[in-house]
Amino acid sequence: MLLPRFKYYEPADLAEACRMMAELGGTVRPLAGGTDLIINMRRRTVAPEHVVSLGRIKELCSMGLSGRTFEIGACCTVASLAESSEIASEFHALCEGALCLGSPLVRNLATVGGNLVTARPAADLPPPLMAYGGSVTLQSSQEQRLVPLEQFFLEPGRTVMKPAEILTRIVVETPPAFSGASYIKLGTRRALEISIVSVGSFLALESPGGRILSARIVLGAVAPVPIRARDAEKTLIGEIPSRSLFVKAGETAAQESKPIDDHRGTAEYRRAMVSVLTQKTLQAALERAKL
Amino acid sequence: MKKTIHITFNHKPFELAVEPNQTLLEVIREKLGLTGTKAGCLVGDCGACTVLLDEKPVNSCLVLAVQADGKQVTTIEGLETPQGLHPLQTAFVDKGAIQCGYCTPGMILTAKSLLDRNPRADEPGIRKAISGNLCRCTGYQKIVEAILFASRTTP
Repeated sequence: MLLPRFKYYEPADLAEACRMMAELGGTVRPLAGGTDLIINMRRRTVAPEHVVSLGRIKELCSMGLSGRTFEIGACCTVASLAESSEIASEFHALCEGALCLGSPLVRNLATVGGNLVTARPAADLPPPLMAYGGSVTLQSSQEQRLVPLEQFFLEPGRTVMKPAEILTRIVVETPPAFSGASYIKLGTRRALEISIVSVGSFLALESPGGRILSARIVLGAVAPVPIRARDAEKTLIGEIPSRSLFVKAGETAAQESKPIDDHRGTAEYRRAMVSVLTQKTLQAALERAKL
Repeated sequence: MKKTIHITFNHKPFELAVEPNQTLLEVIREKLGLTGTKAGCLVGDCGACTVLLDEKPVNSCLVLAVQADGKQVTTIEGLETPQGLHPLQTAFVDKGAIQCGYCTPGMILTAKSLLDRNPRADEPGIRKAISGNLCRCTGYQKIVEAILFASRTTP
């Protein structure tokens, strides 16, 4: 089936893209990897009059360290994230998230920014990015603002972005010494899968074998948006890591989750799996923190 | 309004006038008549429409033709040389890795991309690489065997 008709634009830089987003009348959609937009257009759930491709804007397609922060251009593909040696060495959980998104073919097209702006509750990159305390830069022809990912998602399919804004980059602080993180996705198969439950956890220790200084636990697919399990995090702070401590954190996280019943799993099952995955990700994060 | 684009298909440059809403898959099959690339699910799930875009395997149903402007595209028709079939094509035939054949072009292109990057790929690596290419006939065993065979026998 043919896609609906639209006018197509390929701005060469960000300023031109922002101007187009602001000035084109009617419905405008930015196009990055297309793995969502093109499917939705084919299904006729969206039929924009104007499509503004961001794929030729070089500044959106690079990633790298800038001081203590790692910046990821919104149009970097998920495959490039998974293949980055810097991501693999500093942001292990993010690499894990990238490697379980879609399929290898989809990852060669899908972009990091796209996985965020679509605001799907089961998306694979928000939990690890939030576990690292990530933020996003939103740019319009009027202003630029930095929004922590924790405040970015409003409900399924909706974010704080204004209609003419473009998500330009993702910013994460380089994790401190003696810290580690892990992301685990539970699905019924290992590729082309939408999570039943996913959990990303981050731990920072005072020293290898020392107390827990800070912790972030992020739950995916068990609430309308990815959520922090703050009570579970509180049970960890100032404690010496142990299996029983992680069991308690897992049970607390399960109580904080707000899953629904659907064809992928029941709420009861999801809550039980939140507990299991929280324990497993904390254990993996701990092992990495000791290195 | 049509847009003029330049794409190198199977090492030959083409200038094409396309509508923005035409996908790369539609242009390959309908404008160029290269029907080796198959239309399957059209939502990026099955991998039947796999082509190599700048040497990387992608679902051509999810790419607008205008997005491929200035890039190189390899389809299954681009693998055979005057010397004969590509070693992966031969391996698929010899190992019986083909039944209905619908997934085969995509499967072979994905495998080519893997072996180009990692000529000695092992079985787990092969299974991961083809995880976006669905086959409903073979149960994958012979496909994996064919790719393994090609990886061992290609100099």
